[in-house]
Amino acid sequence: MPAPILSLRNVDKSYPREGGEPRRVLSDVSIDIEPGRRIAIVGRSGSGKSTLLHLAAGIDLPTAGSVWLAGRDLANLSDRERTLERRGTVGLIFQFFHLLPHLDVRDNVALPAMIAGERPSSWEPRVVELLTRVGLESRARDSVQKLSGGEMQRIAICRALLRRPKLLLADEPTGNLDDETSRAVMDLLVRLTEEEGSALVYVTHSAELAAKADEVWRVVHGALERTP
Amino acid sequence: MNRYFLATLASHIRRSRSLYLLTVAGVALGVASVLCIQILNLNALSAFRGGVQAVSGEADFSLVGRTPTLPDSIFARVLGTPGVAGAWPLYRIDVALEDGPARANSQRGLAGAIFLEIVGVDFFAPTRFPIEGAAEETAANRGPSAIAAALSTPGWVALSPAFAQERGWAVGDSFVVSSGSRRATLQVGAMVDFQRYAPTASRKIALMDIAQAQALLGRRGEIHQIDVRVSDGQDIGELTRRLETRLGPQVQALTPQQRESQAAGLLSAFRLNLTALSLISLVVGLFLIYTSTQASLVRRRGEFGLLRALGATRGQVLGLILGEVTLLGALGVALGIPLGYFAAQANVDIVSATLSNLYLLDEIERLELPLSLYLSAAAIGIGGALLGAILPALDLGRRDVRGLLVAFTLREKISSLAPRAAAVGLSLLTLGALIYLAGGSRWKPSGFALGLFVLISLALCTPAFVQTVCRRISPRGFGLRYSLRSLEARLQTTSFAIAALGVAVSMLVAITLLVGSFRETVSTWVDVTLQADVYITTSSWARAGREATIDSSLVERCERMPEVRAVDVLRQFFAQTQDGRRIRVAGVRIGIEGGEQRFPLLAGDPEEALRRVENDGAVIVTEPLARKAGLWVGDTLKVHSTKGLIAMPIAGVSYDYSSEEGAAGMDLRFLEERFGPGPINNLALYLTPGVDVERFVDALRASLAPAPLEIRSNRLLRQEVFAIFDQTFAITRILQGMALLIAATGIALTLLVLARERIAELALYRSLGALRSQIFLTFVGEGLGIGLFGLLLGGVGGVALAALLIYGINLAYFGWTIRPAWPGGALLLQGATILAAALLASLYPAFRASNVPAGELSREDV
Repeated sequence: MPAPILSLRNVDKSYPREGGEPRRVLSDVSIDIEPGRRIAIVGRSGSGKSTLLHLAAGIDLPTAGSVWLAGRDLANLSDRERTLERRGTVGLIFQFFHLLPHLDVRDNVALPAMIAGERPSSWEPRVVELLTRVGLESRARDSVQKLSGGEMQRIAICRALLRRPKLLLADEPTGNLDDETSRAVMDLLVRLTEEEGSALVYVTHSAELAAKADEVWRVVHGALERTP
Repeated sequence: MNRYFLATLASHIRRSRSLYLLTVAGVALGVASVLCIQILNLNALSAFRGGVQAVSGEADFSLVGRTPTLPDSIFARVLGTPGVAGAWPLYRIDVALEDGPARANSQRGLAGAIFLEIVGVDFFAPTRFPIEGAAEETAANRGPSAIAAALSTPGWVALSPAFAQERGWAVGDSFVVSSGSRRATLQVGAMVDFQRYAPTASRKIALMDIAQAQALLGRRGEIHQIDVRVSDGQDIGELTRRLETRLGPQVQALTPQQRESQAAGLLSAFRLNLTALSLISLVVGLFLIYTSTQASLVRRRGEFGLLRALGATRGQVLGLILGEVTLLGALGVALGIPLGYFAAQANVDIVSATLSNLYLLDEIERLELPLSLYLSAAAIGIGGALLGAILPALDLGRRDVRGLLVAFTLREKISSLAPRAAAVGLSLLTLGALIYLAGGSRWKPSGFALGLFVLISLALCTPAFVQTVCRRISPRGFGLRYSLRSLEARLQTTSFAIAALGVAVSMLVAITLLVGSFRETVSTWVDVTLQADVYITTSSWARAGREATIDSSLVERCERMPEVRAVDVLRQFFAQTQDGRRIRVAGVRIGIEGGEQRFPLLAGDPEEALRRVENDGAVIVTEPLARKAGLWVGDTLKVHSTKGLIAMPIAGVSYDYSSEEGAAGMDLRFLEERFGPGPINNLALYLTPGVDVERFVDALRASLAPAPLEIRSNRLLRQEVFAIFDQTFAITRILQGMALLIAATGIALTLLVLARERIAELALYRSLGALRSQIFLTFVGEGLGIGLFGLLLGGVGGVALAALLIYGINLAYFGWTIRPAWPGGALLLQGATILAAALLASLYPAFRASNVPAGELSREDV
């Protein structure tokens, strides 16, 4: 069996509160995610799903326990090292798309490569390829403000996949879309991650969308349980 | 909502201490910059006004001559005129302090001499001056010791306590002064505290018996002024008309207000420049206040969104914002007022030097701060803060609640308004040009109006310019190009900062080009006109003018020296033209060999003009006089003299940059024919070829010691000319300071606003793998970008304004031809300094931006 791309071992996460006991969000969470697997995370609002994704991406550190990303314990890395690791290993998709209005479609997709300091000659073909795969190659020079919600999320997916991440983390990727568009976007996301060989961990409130995953995990009172 | 405001104020301040401090500092700097210039402008005439009040306070009007002096014989005629309750003759002369024989032939330049204005008064008249030592200041009791001593003690003077203390003198001490080439020893006889009832009067006024003043320092038989008090019930206007008719056209009656008006007229162009500087500082101030209040508001967008979501009305949120802004504005005003006062104090010497050197008015002694200045400072600070908050506050109020709560928002409305704003700007520019072309020389302020439209147009075109340029930049990485591209993202914020910087840089470039061109022009003029090898004047010449005379034996002595090839003389005094304009009238030896270039002509044939001046009594008028009075070659100049109005044909118009008042030059023979004989004021020596000038000067000083003469070589005189020139334009350093202030504070605040507004964007970059150092450098790049855009726009605006200043405003107000020059070194240095300031100003905001954690993007963080 290949080594997990992401492992959480007995992870606790608490946030300090002024003048009171710390608020515990996650408690003794453990999970292994193998390369290429699709994992759905479900749970009530405020249950800690986003916190889980932040820990997985190295954006935050656990209060206790360990998070291993691509074989490296994130707690042993500096902020700079965690950032570089995230840059090379993780792709992120957000509920509200988070596209930059002052950049056109092409530049929004290319943003991770620009941040990584890659030459345009190395990322331009990849941008074109991804836009073609999502059917938006003709919109490359358009402002993102001219796009519909579904189109914006497709662009966000392209951005997340640009550098061929081993792990894709999606926080409610269809939360801001209607049902029909949600299904289309989710199907696209699943197809592309399969084609790219990336693992996908996504948070959703929709049972229908959760059913597309290989495994469904639920966060309940800070604990993570696999649902049958 | 009031309770909410009070309950949350302390926690807001605690959480964002640095931002609040910067906001208050921004308001304070804005208030201080405006107040500083207003104080200087208001006080430019304060010493003159104080002097009039101190010396002539009891007079209803003063009789002064249209010629330099009046014969003292007219005093009796004035006193005997029905309606005159009292009259006092005055003899006024400026003398230079001589510290002793060692400094008699001082090498100090014009700027180094200390002057004292001696006011010769008739102590037989009822004493009205607060002389200490006089038992009572009434007509009945002249005071036993002080007044008697004034009349009987040679050189007796009464000094102001402030001046005596400054010099370390007490009653009984003696000191030496010079008036022209004469020296006199004066004795401190008493103290006279003018400043007790005229606080802004110069401390350098001294009283002396009029007869002693005439004999020791001036000329017998002459007076400068007669102060008149009117009888009860007598109409002042009727009396002045009667006196002017009776005494002849060379006498003028002026009330204190009219005298101040005359002085104000002399200073009108200078004060107009200060006013323009004040308006610029107002723009600077309002910009700083606007950016400061924006910075403090933008970070609380989410809070305002929540309040609206909970049911607060737009009006309530607006009231909350304006309440906080008013408080910040009040704090800024409280800091800004003393800051502005100290800034004015720091710069008062610069303005005083100009008043004294160029306009021969008194230096500013004390700064007056009327209540109106405090009120205007408060209005600017609080009003500016409210004005600065209105736009963002209304914008926040107009947005829907969700728009306030969501991290990313669509591009602001300013983007769509940018082309329209540019169209308005270009229309205003066209309008300004039309006004200027139509107004021309008939309406002098048309130049300033066009200048204002240029600046407004620049500001309005800025958003479209930034938008157009930034959109063409395709980022190829996360470096400088990306930073520049990002400036378009928050156009409302960035374009405002760029526009303000552009306006400040425009003024800076324009003034630098003007001063640089002026300096080059003056340099060329000096090269041409200063042909003599040695110049001899007296210590008191700079202030005393006509009264600073040189003994005629010196002329003969110099002519006998074997090293001296030729001696030119200058006799000069003030006179009034027929239309009441004060000009200098100068007489020289026109035919002197080597002196042909003394009058470089703008109009008129040089040979023909000199021939007519030498043989026919024609005059050469200077360019400022020609332009302001509308005179040209072939016209006639009419000037008042003791013999009546004299008409002199004009043979040429010469360039002259020594004064904006204007002058008329003629041969000395004709001067004496028209205005009577009189002593000369200055000498110029032409040496035989091969003589070492500097050695000759040293030897001459030694041989003429201890006469109070200023002997300079051509080289040294040129240096001093430019020293005074540079001192006069030192006020432009204030502009440079303003531009740097905008660059530093404005950019820092703008970037802090951007860092706040773009928290989600910055968090996104971190999520996508951007390092802190990368975000830091991107923000620094944006700061540099703002600086670059500001410099670019300011450069274009500055060149346009410089052309307007040189070819339009300068000619209209000063009458000087200035040839454009490019002080490339100075401009490059200023540009580099502003960019460096922009870079430094970016560091802290960039640091703040780089510390935004990736977790800020969580959708649960509302």
